[in-house]
Amino acid sequence: MGIVMKIENIAKIYHLGKVKVEALRGISFHVKEGEFVSIMGPSGSGKSTLMHIIGCLDYPTSGKYFLSGQDVSKLNDDQLALFRSKKIGFVFQQFNLLSRATNLRNVELPLVYSGVPARERKKLAIKSLQDVGLADRVAHLPNEISGGQKQRVAIARALINNPSIILADEPTGNLDSKTGLDILDIFQKLHTEGNTIILVTHEPDIARYAQRIIHLKDGLIDREEMVV
Amino acid sequence: MILQSLKIALESLLSNKMRSFLSMLGIVIGVGAVIAIVSVGTGSTRQVTSSISNLGSNMINIFPRMSRGMFGQIGGTSSQDKFSLELGVYMEKFCPSVSQIIPTKSISGLFIYDDVNTNATLLGTKEGYLEVNNYEVEEGRFVNKFDDEQGNQVIVLGSDLAADLFEDSSPIGKQLKINYQGKIFVFEVVGVMKEKGGSLAGNLDSQAYIPLSVAMDRITSSSNVSSYIAQAVSSDKAPAAVSELENFLIKTLDDENKEKFRIMSQDEILDTVSSVTNTMSLMLGGIAAISLLVGGIGIMNIMLVSVTERTREIGIRKALGARNKNILFQFLMESLSLSSVGGIIGIGFGWIAAYFLSKYGNWPMVISNISVILAFGFALFIGIFFGLYPAMKAARMNPVDALRYE
Repeated sequence: MGIVMKIENIAKIYHLGKVKVEALRGISFHVKEGEFVSIMGPSGSGKSTLMHIIGCLDYPTSGKYFLSGQDVSKLNDDQLALFRSKKIGFVFQQFNLLSRATNLRNVELPLVYSGVPARERKKLAIKSLQDVGLADRVAHLPNEISGGQKQRVAIARALINNPSIILADEPTGNLDSKTGLDILDIFQKLHTEGNTIILVTHEPDIARYAQRIIHLKDGLIDREEMVV
Repeated sequence: MILQSLKIALESLLSNKMRSFLSMLGIVIGVGAVIAIVSVGTGSTRQVTSSISNLGSNMINIFPRMSRGMFGQIGGTSSQDKFSLELGVYMEKFCPSVSQIIPTKSISGLFIYDDVNTNATLLGTKEGYLEVNNYEVEEGRFVNKFDDEQGNQVIVLGSDLAADLFEDSSPIGKQLKINYQGKIFVFEVVGVMKEKGGSLAGNLDSQAYIPLSVAMDRITSSSNVSSYIAQAVSSDKAPAAVSELENFLIKTLDDENKEKFRIMSQDEILDTVSSVTNTMSLMLGGIAAISLLVGGIGIMNIMLVSVTERTREIGIRKALGARNKNILFQFLMESLSLSSVGGIIGIGFGWIAAYFLSKYGNWPMVISNISVILAFGFALFIGIFFGLYPAMKAARMNPVDALRYE
């Protein structure tokens, strides 16, 4: 199995006025193709910052980040945007769907920005919604469906580009436990289908759905744990 | 990409119809006002212009100027004593662009018929007066050459004057007395004129017309006329006729500084009128343009609010792969759509306003293409100009911060 992403000695320092905040202080790890990895840690451990860097939403202050063999730590805004649209599928705690757009429109949005023609976009989006069991909710607005369904729309959106990594940030944080388990089952299924998944969470039970858990503490990797 | 941005922009505008409508209202009113005002300006100018040309054909009026005496008094030596019949004949002879010269003698008198008395102007003139003034006889005939030679005491009444004196009965053949400085003259009414309206020399409808010789020799015993009406051979030749008359009078009257006479042509009046209406249109158009500008500021305001309100949307779009350019164009297209749709509605609105104003003011409705293009172009410019800053603000947002925005 090839390596999908690799980070080397990543650090991120924020300057809030005169105060220097070291969110990440030198983190290195890699994820192989088809792996399901959890990043776990209490709040303030730097996991959100790490997720933003892995998701190409932010730059590291120092260190290197390779995604699909390419060094992305030196890319400019537009090139990062291109990587986001082609290589990353995001699933957020807040769902982050456009409330005024239909589910179909929401799911096809990444394809709009990667230049896929309208007709093909629609076909792919419908298929993607079918895959998460929402074939009958295509024309609904996000406000008209339940939280669990919203997160499934978000997963359909994350999958539509065939991303190298699916990046899930507390995907069950806004759901009740029963619905949360359904969503985790979907991730499990996606994993068995060969997708690479990185799950960011602070809940140990949820982290255990992955094969491997990376524990963060104070901007450093505390330990790595294999799930048996 | 621009087409894609336009589509996204329209979707978001349509999803918030009320706000979109309110923000384009300023542009609607601005564009509508520009078009309506320019239309009113050109329409009313055209009406005034046509009524001035209607006054007469290629008419040029020549008046004596009172010479200024000492202490602001009107001098004893008025140039009017130089305005003789002979001078008129010479002007006709020596000015090739002038087809004819009609001398007139204006007298104020008291008209008496039965128990009706009224003061009115009595104008001694010649037959050519009709042609020069585009004036027509309603009933009977006008004074003619024969009347002038014979000194017939015949009179033709303007329409208002005839109505005042004779009410409903026909005045033709009636005897009319006129009291001029205590002396009574009796005239036979031979004609009544058609209604004409205002003119350079006052309201023709309230005057009466008699043979020039009667006015000069019999009533006033004077050899001077009050003014000349010159007719140019064609409208192209009118300016030439004016300068020929001017040069001739300067030489003949030995009047280098044009102190003894005044020449007033229709062109001159038209120029004055159109310069006044142009200034008015320009001023009102300026006010309308300011309202367009204010409309633009309104759009910017709404766009800024919209960008802040949709920070999270911008973050989502960026996370899903939108580049800064995509976001910039999306918001630019939104403001451009607002201003262009507003502009189109404004054109319709201005057209309707112009239509009703022209009905109300009774002038022809004229929508000039230039005003439409200018107003619409300005609206588009404003959409881009005032949309650029909010769009840039949106495009430059950091995706991490934008996603965190509540």
